[in-house]
Amino acid sequence: MTIVTSDYDCVCAAGVGMPEIRQALLSQTSGLRPNDFPNSSLTTWIGRVSEVDHQNLGVWQSRNNALAEIGLNLGSLPESINRIKERYSPQRVGIVMGSSTSSIDRTETAYADLDETNAMKPEYRQPKVHNPHAPSLYVAERTGITGPAMTVNTACSSSAKVFATAARWMDLGLIDAALVGGVDTLCLSVLHGFHSLQLVSEHPCRPFDADRDGINLGESAGFAILEQGDFADVSGKAILSGYGESSDAHHMSAPHPEGLGAKLAIEQALNRSRLSPADIDYINLHGTASQANDSVEGTLVGKMFPQSTLCSSTKGWTGHTLGAAGITEALIALDAFETNLIPGNLNLTRMESGLGLNLMKDNTEKPVTHVMSNSFGFGGNNCTLVFSRV
Amino acid sequence: MTACASMSCRIDGIGVWGPGFSNWPILEAYIAGSGQYEDDQAPGPKPEIIPSNERRRAPLPVRLAVETSWQASQQAGIAPSALSCVFSSGFGDIDITHYMCTTLNTEAKQLSPTKFHNSVHNAPAGYWTISTGCMQPASSVAGFKESTPVTLLEAMAQLVTEQKPSLLTFCDGPAKGQLIPVLINDQPFAASLVLSPFNSDDEAKKGDTLLKVSVQQNVVEWPALKTSALQSLYTNNPSARILCLFEKLANLRDGSSSILMPLSTETSLLLELERG
Repeated sequence: MTIVTSDYDCVCAAGVGMPEIRQALLSQTSGLRPNDFPNSSLTTWIGRVSEVDHQNLGVWQSRNNALAEIGLNLGSLPESINRIKERYSPQRVGIVMGSSTSSIDRTETAYADLDETNAMKPEYRQPKVHNPHAPSLYVAERTGITGPAMTVNTACSSSAKVFATAARWMDLGLIDAALVGGVDTLCLSVLHGFHSLQLVSEHPCRPFDADRDGINLGESAGFAILEQGDFADVSGKAILSGYGESSDAHHMSAPHPEGLGAKLAIEQALNRSRLSPADIDYINLHGTASQANDSVEGTLVGKMFPQSTLCSSTKGWTGHTLGAAGITEALIALDAFETNLIPGNLNLTRMESGLGLNLMKDNTEKPVTHVMSNSFGFGGNNCTLVFSRV
Repeated sequence: MTACASMSCRIDGIGVWGPGFSNWPILEAYIAGSGQYEDDQAPGPKPEIIPSNERRRAPLPVRLAVETSWQASQQAGIAPSALSCVFSSGFGDIDITHYMCTTLNTEAKQLSPTKFHNSVHNAPAGYWTISTGCMQPASSVAGFKESTPVTLLEAMAQLVTEQKPSLLTFCDGPAKGQLIPVLINDQPFAASLVLSPFNSDDEAKKGDTLLKVSVQQNVVEWPALKTSALQSLYTNNPSARILCLFEKLANLRDGSSSILMPLSTETSLLLELERG
């Protein structure tokens, strides 16, 4: 079965919707800004989406759901969602969402606004919001899609894995089409959590730079519609040609020093797509700008892929959007089929020596046929995706 | 459109830990009516498979999940490193959520780095794969009160696609602090299943328990549980919803049985059991 993305869109610090994101990529304009997140005095830079501050979803309110709401209204997504509901029937469409924090932002807010008896106020008593499945519950409520719905919570690989799950469900005929997505929003938990691990940079993040000194947190909501490309009337934008999933079996918050788990995921994705490393034109690397990730990933990819494979991390535009990074970066990578624009590695001054990557600060304009996206998360959780031009 | 597919497997191992039972034979006996059920308020397990320095830092849901995963893989006689895994939790680790939100409302916002890395929903999957050297795909999924059917669907889809044995682990700890009246659950529970591929041309051996899973386009309520002592656990702990399957398994003997679990607002999951 050929599985295609028939529509997709994204909102992140680099732009609200793909047209804005394309413009930011083209002009190398970062969406990062000095930390101005409410109640956080951390010195760092963040990829914040201002539009999310003005949403109010009533009983569904959370920053995370509000960002999902913006995402669901982007471009042609509303029409596409209606189209697949009509074509396949709502219960034959699946929802697979990925998130790291789900709506913990709302739990934080509830705890900051307790009543005089130290209890949660009635307006915050939202069981369907204070749980890890919240993104899918909200998307199901909002879209009227009634098929199987699942949320993947594997930290920073979450919304890469949604493609693998939806592909399996479609291949087995459990569903006919899927709305997949990833939503993660800035919150105090991640800002101060990553700070406690001494992983947050005081500067705009510099993935793969010799002088990099940590990550910037960001937020994003990305969605894609997956359908069977064999149907003559489905106009696909990209083919999901492979995926790979693995575990490091090494450490909760540090990658395997030789990237063994990551290697397994990349190999699996190549095997499944029946491609060799030289076929891959561009890799959107996980590239968080942490010391450990970039050394391990850079060395591994440099060894596995030839110089003809261009590589970059786009986190200099968006920040690390955690559970939403998988789909956000997959969409940036596969959007090159439309734009012929391979994003450079923003904020790079001098690449760490010895990595062997073909990685440059500047963008490259050329048509691409196969692209890859890497996502590696806490708990040693890895996922690699390969997309091909239709 | 495409016909509803059904997916088959063999149940090779069961692990369980909850109030009053620390393994499957004990729970099976309670369900079958032998043995007096009593919540012994036991503190959580301390699975020795977790390296000792990690075990001290491992939160309750992790210890529960690793314990039942170990039980199920031991019973199945399959090396944990060969098992793809799908872990799930309906409410997440509420104890850590409570800690994080409480600490973030202090001036210093000084989170413990260990608690922060333990706060990821895939902490049980992480500890399990690290403890057992498992480099297979490990997922961590949620479906709120439908977490158990969603997890079964995901694990079965992976098992049938990859033709490899799979470990499923469901785990929810009790609610804490200001979340107690919101996410109502006061008892810990974890359960695991080890499933192996079983295809149409495979022959079942005497005593094999086969499970067939399919998605149905209908709306159902959660089935009632006959074991009244477990009713509140079943109702409140999202992971304990697997007890409706366990009850059928305990009473299966030689024969067949089926059960329908709600899966989404307009679908359900049909589980068909058969033991030869």
